[in-house]
Amino acid sequence: MSATPAADGERKRATAGAPRAPVLSVDDLKAYYRTRHFGIEREVRAVDGVSFEVRDNEIYGLAGESSSGKSTLLKAIAAAMRPPLHVVGGTVRMRFLEGAKSLYAASSAELAQLRWRKLSYIMQGSMSALNPVRRVRRSFEDFAARHLGGTGAAFEAKVVAHLGLVRLDKGVLDAYPHELSGGMRQRVTIALATICRPDLVIADEPTTALDVVVQKDVLDMIRDVQRQVGSSLLLVTHDLGVHAYLTDRLAIMYGGRLVEEAPTETLFRSPLHPYAKHLIASLPRIGEAAPKVTLPGGPPNLAEPPPGCRFHPRCPLAMERCRRDTPTLTTVAPQHRVACFAVGGQA
Amino acid sequence: MLATVRDLVIYNPEFRIGAILVGLVAGMAALSLASPYAPLDTFVVAPDLPPSLAHPFGTTSRGQDVFWQLTFAIRNTLTFGIVVALLSRLLSLAIGLLAGYKGGWVDRVLMAINDTFIAIPLFPILVLFYFVLRDAMSWAALALIMALLGWAYDARLIRALALSLKTREFTYTGVFSGMTTRELLVREHLPYVMPIVFATTMNNMNWSIGLEVTLSVLGFTDINSPTVGGMIYWANQHTALVAGVWWWIAFPVILVVALFIGLFLLAVSMNEHIDPRSRLRRMGAEGGA
Repeated sequence: MSATPAADGERKRATAGAPRAPVLSVDDLKAYYRTRHFGIEREVRAVDGVSFEVRDNEIYGLAGESSSGKSTLLKAIAAAMRPPLHVVGGTVRMRFLEGAKSLYAASSAELAQLRWRKLSYIMQGSMSALNPVRRVRRSFEDFAARHLGGTGAAFEAKVVAHLGLVRLDKGVLDAYPHELSGGMRQRVTIALATICRPDLVIADEPTTALDVVVQKDVLDMIRDVQRQVGSSLLLVTHDLGVHAYLTDRLAIMYGGRLVEEAPTETLFRSPLHPYAKHLIASLPRIGEAAPKVTLPGGPPNLAEPPPGCRFHPRCPLAMERCRRDTPTLTTVAPQHRVACFAVGGQA
Repeated sequence: MLATVRDLVIYNPEFRIGAILVGLVAGMAALSLASPYAPLDTFVVAPDLPPSLAHPFGTTSRGQDVFWQLTFAIRNTLTFGIVVALLSRLLSLAIGLLAGYKGGWVDRVLMAINDTFIAIPLFPILVLFYFVLRDAMSWAALALIMALLGWAYDARLIRALALSLKTREFTYTGVFSGMTTRELLVREHLPYVMPIVFATTMNNMNWSIGLEVTLSVLGFTDINSPTVGGMIYWANQHTALVAGVWWWIAFPVILVVALFIGLFLLAVSMNEHIDPRSRLRRMGAEGGA
């Protein structure tokens, strides 16, 4: 746990000093799936003009229903697109990328340098997150050794010290994944993702496969490790309870676009966007008797999205303008951005 | 590995019997090192003697001791099977893992070749090779040809596994963390498919030994180096059964059948052991009794 106290202190001083560039800044990112079957081209605009920043030492949450484009956004941020997914516009900048250029301008050698060491990700807590026929020790060697450096005993000492952070003893190194409980497996994946003390960690539904008791345990662990390592965390899940518990700031995604972004508490207390309002209102509260109101319709088909605001067919506040123009995220209060004409958004 | 063998011995009678049979055959092959006669020498003992204490399996019409001749024959046959199995495993692993993982045109090209090898009839091709190569058709040449023809089925099997491994989370992690394709296939995917490769190795040995015996019996191989099929070939040439020298044919046949059954039982027991459901059922039933 006290393997590198000096490095921790250095990080804290750095974060306490003058404001630095955000760890991650995404600007007008557009990522489309382009398919061609029998000469018919289809384009699914899964991520369509998304902009946000992740700052130092913060946990940034991204919420949205299925098919809202969350996973596509993550793939684009990790530069892990495979056909038919293409980034067609916008930039992704990371502070640790040389020359402040866009991620997509970086060579594959540069990407290989930064992945895991600077940018890493926490895998889903499913059975297949770790190779079932490799001992945990081998997984650390395969994934982290090249980035962490050190061989044999030196490497092992680093791994054991880091496992202490997630309260695992070195016995797990000799275990196969099926010999560990779901919570232990997820702690191993957290340790794997953070062992190089990366600047940015992406977590895609890290607790989805776990029951609520283990879930809370794992979430606490993620926060502890994040605070100690000093990484920024981009957390994606559809589970609003997880966001309320863990994140500092929260963005809501709908139909491939961000509709609202605010500090998590603000967003839960006073959501502005009609979709966010309904989403928050749908959460059960103790002592509440009134039945929940359901919005008619379903999420938009991103191959043929509605014109203008993508929420307008289901929106109770929809105006004529919403059918024509696309609202962009507009700052309506400090740190609070919303994309809706009815509540103060601009085109 | 040791624990696996121990479990198999304790819980799996098929494995026990298979291991004993294959062990006997291997022991027989090892005895060839202690043979008092050179393998190619003829008329070193009196011909056509029935089994006795001096010649436990009798002697041939060519004046060879059947027992010692058989130790050479089974050694060559067994080595042949092992060499073919190893060479074809290398091919099927490399091609199966690569095709499954890479996908796209790599997969399509490799599988087109693969399916061609599955579709072409093997036996006529092997006979054709013999007629083309004639005296150049040695033991090693036949092993190489069989290895080149025998990888296709298992490459398809391994490709099917690789297809599923490709979409697992740990594969993404490996790629993301910067492993090269070679590292990924060797360190992450190879250990996963190894148990199935073991099981198919036994079947492949049965297949190659069976074809080799068939070709030798018909005289379509190098008939001078002693193999089990070659012994039967010479026995037929000397009309051994008509002449009443039954031991010349009976003992090679018994030995090679024992090898077949042994390898088959090993393959069956390993297949069953790989599937955790059948393994646990067997271990549970054994524990309850």
